[in-house]
Amino acid sequence: MSVYINSTGHYLPGPPIDNDEIENILGLVNGKKSRLKHKILQSNGIKTRHYAINQQQETQISNSEMAANAGLRCLDASYISPHQIEMLSVATSQGDLVLPGFGSMVQAELDISSVELQTSHGICSSSMMALKSAYTNIKAQESANALVIASELASRLFKHTRYEQVEGKEIDFNAEFLRWMLSDGAGALLLESQPRKTGKSLRIDWIKSFSHADVYPVCMSVGMPKNATKSWQDFPTYSEAEQAGALLLRQDVRLLDNIVSVGVNGFLKLLQDGMFKVPEIDHVLCHFSSAYFKSKIVEMLEVAGVQIPEDKWYTNLYERGNTGCASIFIMLDEFLATQDLSVGETLFCMVPESGRFNCAYMHLTVVE
Amino acid sequence: MTADVLTTSGQTCLQSLLKVWFDFDLALSKAPIVKRLEQGRLSHEDYQKLLLNLRQQVIEGSRWITRCASSFNREYADVRSIVIGHAKDEHKDFLMLESDYVAVGGDINVIQNSSKNIGSEALHGFLMYRASQENPVDLIGAMWIIEGLGNKMASKWAELIEEQLELPKEATQFMRYHGENDEHHLEELYKLVDRVAVDDGAIKAIERTAKVVARLYILQLEEVDHV
Repeated sequence: MSVYINSTGHYLPGPPIDNDEIENILGLVNGKKSRLKHKILQSNGIKTRHYAINQQQETQISNSEMAANAGLRCLDASYISPHQIEMLSVATSQGDLVLPGFGSMVQAELDISSVELQTSHGICSSSMMALKSAYTNIKAQESANALVIASELASRLFKHTRYEQVEGKEIDFNAEFLRWMLSDGAGALLLESQPRKTGKSLRIDWIKSFSHADVYPVCMSVGMPKNATKSWQDFPTYSEAEQAGALLLRQDVRLLDNIVSVGVNGFLKLLQDGMFKVPEIDHVLCHFSSAYFKSKIVEMLEVAGVQIPEDKWYTNLYERGNTGCASIFIMLDEFLATQDLSVGETLFCMVPESGRFNCAYMHLTVVE
Repeated sequence: MTADVLTTSGQTCLQSLLKVWFDFDLALSKAPIVKRLEQGRLSHEDYQKLLLNLRQQVIEGSRWITRCASSFNREYADVRSIVIGHAKDEHKDFLMLESDYVAVGGDINVIQNSSKNIGSEALHGFLMYRASQENPVDLIGAMWIIEGLGNKMASKWAELIEEQLELPKEATQFMRYHGENDEHHLEELYKLVDRVAVDDGAIKAIERTAKVVARLYILQLEEVDHV
């Protein structure tokens, strides 16, 4: 039983926002321009991105609405109608509500009936977990199709007012770092047990991931204050948790370079297990958070003698922004829309997550 | 870092070595003393114990490298020269370890008179045994692991220790020093890989020795808590 990606879609809220406009949207923390912004943007290389909040930091579209929009665009380009969907598998790092699961909210938004539901929670690689669930579900002949959606609304965490609540009002580097990295958007894939009736499909050859949370400390988090392990839920009131900085999105940047060896380690493992051959890869779609990390990965692949030529790497990070778990789907959608692919060409996808170090890989082949 | 390994079999060997390194790197972080170090829970006493234990193996380190050099016959005279250079660079490293130990309040007599822990015994024994074989090309695998570890100490551990224990750089000389010769040693290792990893048998032997050394090194670190 093979599984095929037969349609894709994405949704990015509002107009593209360039680097000079970011603070008009997210606001100035304590009325002052950031001193870190330029440096971080220079390193990540992102030129434009999209936000679901406006200049007053009011939410214009919810996370589940963005997810549904991406899902509907994906279905619009397919041969099946929404009511034929058998499984809905979704991912996000933070839904609109703490509970219920994001999947329930997206299903309601899509207005589709009686689907088998899966919600995958995590950070960048959660979309790959949602995809793997859908893939194995179809492979096991539990469903004939599945709609997989990943959506992120990170900008809510970056409003200036969030930082201003923190006692002392000093923002540390680790809490500010992601403000200049992440933005909003959603991507969707339709999986079916048969290839598309006309045009090209992507056969999923395999999906594998390796998690290393047993080894590494937390690197990216929401829910604990700086230099403490106390959960936001352990404070007497939520406002005290916020004042302690427990609700800021943090990245322990010193741990971040571990992502490179984690990513290359899994790559070598799959290579040695015979899952793919480097010269047979035609396209690489890698979710990396910044140009800086891409160059590190490329360097290390070179050292290992398994470098993949620059012209095989595709990304739309610099124009669409880093949308966390949605990135890889948004990338795939734009890649398919803009590239003229031939039958037999292969795609190697890679999604490293720095949350507590998980890395997912996928191999796809173009079929007709 | 640039890839200076040029031959196809050299590259195959380097790929295996990198894989062994990554697995070692992950397993290393699970040794209790390393876990405390990397997660910000290291005590002064821990650091002293770490130095005390490392010193007993490091002082013997130049023995296996020099013996390794002398075990290369005329066919490998060029390899022998490189290994001699390597031994010369490191044969007094234990002095830095001792000075770090004293800088964190340790007694010089204690560190000089302690014996090897169980892991150090095993590691030293294995290295001496391999070094005694004729043309022990597989020991490139051992150098790879130990060199990589030196790099990790210099680039990560030294700073973490200084921060957690509020120590001056004078107390982490041993770890820091390893960063200085790294670039040079790495280039030489790449050269050696190209030179000796010429067939499947050599590659397998190098990979196996790297794995054994990796495991025994971790045993040595695990034993730090059992002394």
